[in-house]
Amino acid sequence: MDVRALADEDLIPLMARGDARAFETVYERHAGAAYSLAYRMVGTRSVAEDVTQEAFLNLWRSGAHYDRVRGSVRTWILGIVHHRAIDALRRASVHSRRRSDDETAAERLEAPDKVEEDVARRDEAAIVRNAMDILPADQLKVIELAYFGGFTHVEIAEMLEAPIGTVKGRMRLGLKKMREVLAQGAVG
Amino acid sequence: MTDHERWEDAAGSYVLNALTDEERVGYEAHLATCAECRAEVAELRIAADALPVSPPPMLPPPALKARIMAEVEREAALLASAGKPDRTYAPEPKREKRRWFGGGSLALPRPVLGVLACALVAAGIAFGALVVNGSAGRTIDFQSTLPQASAQLEVNGDTATVVANGLPTPPAGKTYMVWLTRPGHAPEPTSALFTPRRDGSATASVTGDLDGVESVLVNTEPVGGSTTPTSTPFLTAKLS
Repeated sequence: MDVRALADEDLIPLMARGDARAFETVYERHAGAAYSLAYRMVGTRSVAEDVTQEAFLNLWRSGAHYDRVRGSVRTWILGIVHHRAIDALRRASVHSRRRSDDETAAERLEAPDKVEEDVARRDEAAIVRNAMDILPADQLKVIELAYFGGFTHVEIAEMLEAPIGTVKGRMRLGLKKMREVLAQGAVG
Repeated sequence: MTDHERWEDAAGSYVLNALTDEERVGYEAHLATCAECRAEVAELRIAADALPVSPPPMLPPPALKARIMAEVEREAALLASAGKPDRTYAPEPKREKRRWFGGGSLALPRPVLGVLACALVAAGIAFGALVVNGSAGRTIDFQSTLPQASAQLEVNGDTATVVANGLPTPPAGKTYMVWLTRPGHAPEPTSALFTPRRDGSATASVTGDLDGVESVLVNTEPVGGSTTPTSTPFLTAKLS
């Protein structure tokens, strides 16, 4: 059987039974999105690699826990990556140094060499980014701090010296607007 | 203030996992009784779920796949060696999203659990150290008795990784195993068992306490490993 012909949802049960080729196929399909998310969150390649590795090994070891009712395999994988990246941010205190890290600056200059060639994935990322770019800056900021930074609304309120209620309101309004824009496009 | 008014603005923070733990518990209790808020959460979650695909797409380095597959193939071999490679596929009951991430337990055949648990714990410890230490560390060349094989030991703090190339496929029923030696003591087994990939490359996390270790050895052992070496090492790295 050629596992590459199988859908993600059919690969997971094989993977959960210890089929390394099924896992490899899942990795090849989703490692790009996983690594991109990890890099966006932690800001350095070495930590992004560690996060991606930890997430995929977690996936391999807990594949039996995938529940398709909860969403696609990709959503599940990116959820694991997101959680692991937040762990890494908290563990290594990358928060405070990622913006001034020399390695990070150098890596960002090199980034074009590593850009994904998958047109569909590039297009999808562009659609979501466009939906985010439409948001007022204050709404986008609180959403990014919460999702990519792993901060609570209390921490964000302190950071921005804004009332908690204001932060919560911006998150809600921003996501609502994003949802409306995405509904007009193909993603969502 | 009604319960609904109290939580009116919380849906966005909730789907972004930005509520405090205490607030999340309170909001979930409110959701159980409020259809209007449940509908809003479902709506906003669609936007929140799109966020992870927004970063500029990048390609992970090929070496990352090599490292991950080395670990996966090693564990797959462990499962197969137990003679019953059938981790049961059993989707969990529906749970809230954030609980997915809690590091679920393994559903494995009992005989495998002990062996694998050791390997996984060690791998987890090794990974933690990698995250903390980043890529800092030292690299030591292995001496190889196989002319086509080369290998290096990458030491990061208290952990080490064997990175090898040009390894032949072990004979049927055999695997490669990492050992640690200390002066005046017999070689100590580790849970690092591995088989090379088709291109002869391999990566294995060395488990165990490296304090006082004189050398790291790799030899051929029956699948599942041994407690004392049954063959001469073909890779040797001197740490001290």
